[in-house]
Amino acid sequence: MGETEAMSPIELALETSKPPRLLRLLTLVTVLGFGGTLFLGLGVAGTDIQQGEIQRIFYIHMPSFFGAFTAFGLTVAGGALYLARGSEKWDRIALAGVEVGLAFSLINLLTGSIWARPIWNTWWTWDPRLTSAAVMCLTYAAYLMLRAGIDDRGRRRAFMSVYGILAFVTVLITLFIIRVVPETIHPVIVGASPQNAQGGFEATSGVVTALIPSLIFWLTLLPITLMWHRVRLEERLEALDRLKMRALSE
Amino acid sequence: MRMIKAIASAGLLVFALTAGLLRAQDGERGSRPYFQSRAFNAPILAGWDDQSGDDFAQFHLAEAQATIRTAIAPAAEALDAAGAELSAAFGFDLGAPVFQEKVNLADGTWRALVYDIDAETTASVMARQDGLQSIVISFVERDAAARTVMLTIAQADDSLADATPEIAIALESLAGLSLSELQRADSQTLPSGEWTVYAGESVMAMGVIFGNDAYVALQMGDAGDLAALAEAYNRTLLGFFITPDNSQYLALGLAAAFVILAALIGSLYWRERNVQKDLALLRELAREDE
Repeated sequence: MGETEAMSPIELALETSKPPRLLRLLTLVTVLGFGGTLFLGLGVAGTDIQQGEIQRIFYIHMPSFFGAFTAFGLTVAGGALYLARGSEKWDRIALAGVEVGLAFSLINLLTGSIWARPIWNTWWTWDPRLTSAAVMCLTYAAYLMLRAGIDDRGRRRAFMSVYGILAFVTVLITLFIIRVVPETIHPVIVGASPQNAQGGFEATSGVVTALIPSLIFWLTLLPITLMWHRVRLEERLEALDRLKMRALSE
Repeated sequence: MRMIKAIASAGLLVFALTAGLLRAQDGERGSRPYFQSRAFNAPILAGWDDQSGDDFAQFHLAEAQATIRTAIAPAAEALDAAGAELSAAFGFDLGAPVFQEKVNLADGTWRALVYDIDAETTASVMARQDGLQSIVISFVERDAAARTVMLTIAQADDSLADATPEIAIALESLAGLSLSELQRADSQTLPSGEWTVYAGESVMAMGVIFGNDAYVALQMGDAGDLAALAEAYNRTLLGFFITPDNSQYLALGLAAAFVILAALIGSLYWRERNVQKDLALLRELAREDE
């Protein structure tokens, strides 16, 4: 403690580049979890009798959406807490949620498109679920572009907090649209699929064995670990900005 | 920084292992022969005479006088589609179906229909709307020695593991028999699953549960080839629309997921490295000032 107090702010910033022990441990567990859930999906779950091997993409496709749900949900929480309390750390969490959630949404969208090709005989169709997922991705991509375009920090944080909260509507629409719009070919896993759904499959014990760990992993470990790394990076970027400003003023 | 490198390395390792696993599975499975058209795929039935054209799959088994055909009919309504298809392909003039049922399968709602064409000909049809047209899978048998029908029936009680209730429905609807008039025989294990079998005097019925539906085959007569016919028809139903070997799409999907995750982690890594560089530069400048 005494040593760090004697350090200059630059030395201190360089010294703290190493992630804390808990984050390192979490990262290790996440890497192992990633390998483990992949093994369950590719090696333990049986091959679907109707769809063949491609059905295994389900163990990434669906959990990645729920990973995005967690990340975007934390963006809502971060934005609301920033607006309520004004602490910058909540804004960092909101930003990290958007970056991680957007990556997960793109994984969801791309794996879905690749899955559709052999099963629906098309890469893309303007189905309500697919369309709302695409709109969700574009909404959060716009978040990052807008954020980069506002110079004033206070205004940027306040504006993006509100945007991050409102953008979550697109997540909820994507989640629930196939329950309320019957003209969809996208199947559902829980409950009865819509009448025209194509490409569904039975939730057999093998499917459940692989799905539950994957879902838990993508809902919790993966987004939280990646967001923590992103929050730390943002802290350091902000610290660097302050040091640069101080160096310029001197 | 080391941790990020370790994550990237672990990701590459997992990807390599995955690719290896997929290749190994491909090697074990081998290729599965399929008829492929723009609209659907149909398994090629080994031992059956392949009479397929450019846009329809048709297989004929001479000794059973049975034909299984998959085609697109230019009608959206299932009854119209079945009529158009059976008329165009076989020259049948259809009356009302002697059995019909709506069933929800994984790929949508199908209509199961059975027609008695004449004294020795029976047609079992599955039809599903696909836009302004319909996909029709038909099983036609003209064996004078037996009347054979194929049915798909929504499972009445999905807690049951066998198709006994649906076999009873089929017997009552199409043969006018009650299940008690038949004896339960040993189950038959076919590639499509374990079939429950009931046999009586000149009557045989077998059924298998797949998902929430039962596939039932019924034969009245002494042909004795019901298991082979049921397996062939069931194989056609279960596999007609799937791209046969799609493991390359799985590899593509995994690659896409890895690339996006790698891009996110790589972006964190590069930005962190730039922060380090800038901090080192600031430290040098500060030392020069001192």
